[in-house]
Amino acid sequence: MKAQVSRVLPGQEIGVDEQRELAVDGLTPARVMRPQSPQELAEGLQALSATSAAAVVHGGDTQIGLGSRPARYDVALSTTRLSRLLEHEPADLTCRAEAGMRVGDLQAILRAHGQRLPLDPPRPEKATLGGMVAANSSGLSRARYGGVRDWVIGIAVAYPNGVIARAGGKVVKNVAGYDLMKLHTGALGTLGVIVELNFKVQTTPEADDTMLGHFDQRGDALAAGRWLARQYLAPAAITVLDREVLQECGLTADWRWTLAIRLEGYRREVEIARDQAAAAVRDHAGRVESEPAPAPARFWESVRDWTLGQDEAVLLYATTSLSGLSPVIDVAGSDSRVMAEPASGTAYVRVAPGAAVGLLDRMRGAVKGSGQVVVRRAPTASKDELDIFGPPPPGFALMRELKRTLDPNAILNPGRFVGGI
Amino acid sequence: MVGERYAFTDPYEVRLYQYDASPETALPDAVVIPGSAEEVAQVARICAEEGVPIVARSGASSLCGGTVPVEGGVVITFARMDHILEIDLENLRAVVEPGVVNLALSQVLRPRGFYYVPDPSSQGACTIGGNVGTNAGGPHTLLYGVTVNHVTGLEVALTTGELLQLGPGKASELSGYDLTGLLCGSEGTMAIVTKIWVRLTPVPPVSKTLLAVFDDVTTASNAVSTVIASGILPAAIEMMDHLSIQAVEAASHAGYPLDAGAVLLLEVDGIAEVAGDVARRMAECCRAEGAREVRLARDEAERQALWKGRKGAFSAMGRLSPDFYVMDGVVPRTRLPATLDAIGKISERTGFKICNVFHAGDGNLHPLVLFDGFKEGEYEQVLRIGDEILKLCADQGGSITGEHGIGLEKRENIRYVFSDQDLSVMDQVRRVFDPGLRMNPGKVFPAAGGEAKPAVRMPAGKTTGRAGPGDEIWV
Repeated sequence: MKAQVSRVLPGQEIGVDEQRELAVDGLTPARVMRPQSPQELAEGLQALSATSAAAVVHGGDTQIGLGSRPARYDVALSTTRLSRLLEHEPADLTCRAEAGMRVGDLQAILRAHGQRLPLDPPRPEKATLGGMVAANSSGLSRARYGGVRDWVIGIAVAYPNGVIARAGGKVVKNVAGYDLMKLHTGALGTLGVIVELNFKVQTTPEADDTMLGHFDQRGDALAAGRWLARQYLAPAAITVLDREVLQECGLTADWRWTLAIRLEGYRREVEIARDQAAAAVRDHAGRVESEPAPAPARFWESVRDWTLGQDEAVLLYATTSLSGLSPVIDVAGSDSRVMAEPASGTAYVRVAPGAAVGLLDRMRGAVKGSGQVVVRRAPTASKDELDIFGPPPPGFALMRELKRTLDPNAILNPGRFVGGI
Repeated sequence: MVGERYAFTDPYEVRLYQYDASPETALPDAVVIPGSAEEVAQVARICAEEGVPIVARSGASSLCGGTVPVEGGVVITFARMDHILEIDLENLRAVVEPGVVNLALSQVLRPRGFYYVPDPSSQGACTIGGNVGTNAGGPHTLLYGVTVNHVTGLEVALTTGELLQLGPGKASELSGYDLTGLLCGSEGTMAIVTKIWVRLTPVPPVSKTLLAVFDDVTTASNAVSTVIASGILPAAIEMMDHLSIQAVEAASHAGYPLDAGAVLLLEVDGIAEVAGDVARRMAECCRAEGAREVRLARDEAERQALWKGRKGAFSAMGRLSPDFYVMDGVVPRTRLPATLDAIGKISERTGFKICNVFHAGDGNLHPLVLFDGFKEGEYEQVLRIGDEILKLCADQGGSITGEHGIGLEKRENIRYVFSDQDLSVMDQVRRVFDPGLRMNPGKVFPAAGGEAKPAVRMPAGKTTGRAGPGDEIWV
């Protein structure tokens, strides 16, 4: 029966090994599509629509665990062959690339011109630009530089009806037409498949520095971070890590909590910001680490990649107001690992599957409607017992209607997004 | 429902609501001044049920006919919904009603060390609600982004009469489609905003402003690229050409040199220890590109005078010409010299003077075509010139609007940047929110079967757009 279905599905048949590689939450596809052009991808979507087969869209698969278990999964649709840089005019501080280009490849090209995209999703050597946008994966500097939604200035999307449509453009300031870039950011590919993206880019700051502060009390570390976030010379990244997380990221400390601060800017600015950060640590009963952090770049990469979680653990993600974060983390017991970003009011909490359901309930209770807690990653066996996104967000009826309108046969990542979209 | 005092249909009274800062006018059938979000939602529902168009309007500083009720119906104006509801410095947010004037918010915040960043030149009159509608920009978008980058949540009224609170508000993100982002810049065609959560930013300790004087716009454009390429992150780079300087200096007496071919106004924000140094580096870039003079504003008064001149540039044009027609094209920064050159050629060919006052750092042009609306046929000619300039911007890889919006004026020109397929997806999205197309109808999208051509007409007896020194028109 399976084989018979395969014959009418678009895409190439795949062997068992590849099936396993492309498995999502325990479901395996019968076929794979690896289009080499946006046009071919759009035609593939049309073919999928004709058979009402469901596709899960794959980029670098760094965030493929995000979302609920797919309701159906017949075909894996990979964007990784759409990997070309299409335009980069350094003097315009803009670029245009195909969605399957690796984030790290783009950053390497920009770096050669003293520029960067100030988005830093985990595993940039694997993660694709399209996946970064679809997963709204901004990295650790969101509070200072903005997130994905602030840097995408144009988009081309292939829709299930086979149409490729654009929005935005290649200039940094543009209000012509609707901002559909926003609609597809964080949409997990449920409305269309991103095939091309235009970005603003940034001149890489002249200087950077890393500072660590150690604390007995998590509340003090968070308060120091929150204070820094409200200063004009706010750090580029502020994270609060528990001792075990710090160790997993390659550093050790005797203290229970560490505030890791990354400073960026003109050289003199960074020096002054460092003094400001040191004062903030001391004013909040912390101790400034006197030794310079060894290999700070690698440390920050580890912190960033830590936010992907682990195979056999559940990773919860809380987003609240800056002042609302503490109470949400407070409900996590000593058996959970915590990494918080006080400047954006977000925190990752990693917990064993057995304790996840209870902790998720407690954290959602603590958020009290002024934010949310979602499951960022969970082992397949735990997925069905966890309410991944929690209650549907306000405006859900409109979201469902948008989905029905743009993907009427629900062929794109069905069941993965909020409220079962 | 809103009280007799706050709703009127008398043709004489509604006349005040027939226009905005664009040349187009159309009379509404009724004007409603609701006092609450609930009232807005009820009006929206009743209008939808009765099949009556509904147009939201506040400051009415739209330069593209965005608030002109072109199909009649009900105009909702937010004169009574002008309250700052909450300022939460701890969480870097303010919650405001749509009728709050942009500048008023920052004036309340600044003494406390924070501000709301987007500062369109009309900020003394335009409202945050209107800013959301057009995704307004201003001179400081270069470093800080536009309205959508500073809006984290919206409460909106739908045609169903529902009130929805969208977006993360005081949090930084929320799962689900980013409807807040989608609605920013949708020009009131999908929903009516009744409350806005905005991000607050610490005020820069110091802002240094430079005036760089050039012999022509090409060298000034090159200086813009040089500054950007040097690694400096300026807060703003504005340009004025020779003709603009004449008008601006006559009106502002800010010290703009009358014999200059072009001037750049460059600003850098920062801490005192750094800003002066960065300003010096910017000055060096300008000199290296041939600036004949670079002046640093000595004090806040001089700095404010320069900015007042710039932000009042449009009003000042009344000194040069009885009427002007303003555009809002965008080109990639590197295409500025070629585009300005082409605009100069259009001016020579047609005999119409064209001023350029614009956000050079973003490549956001504001060419102003000077004309006399009482001369037979001039207005029609000017519209054709405008059309040609927008086409030029699109052909350079740019856009037909950077911050003013499509509105009524450019609904046909939108085809220069989007295909039928692009527009069809946008139309499908719009219909999810407003299936009956009652929200600000006749805007953004081309008329069915329309061709790319100027859409606005000069109404008889039209006086708006004739800016005298006493009038206030901004860009």
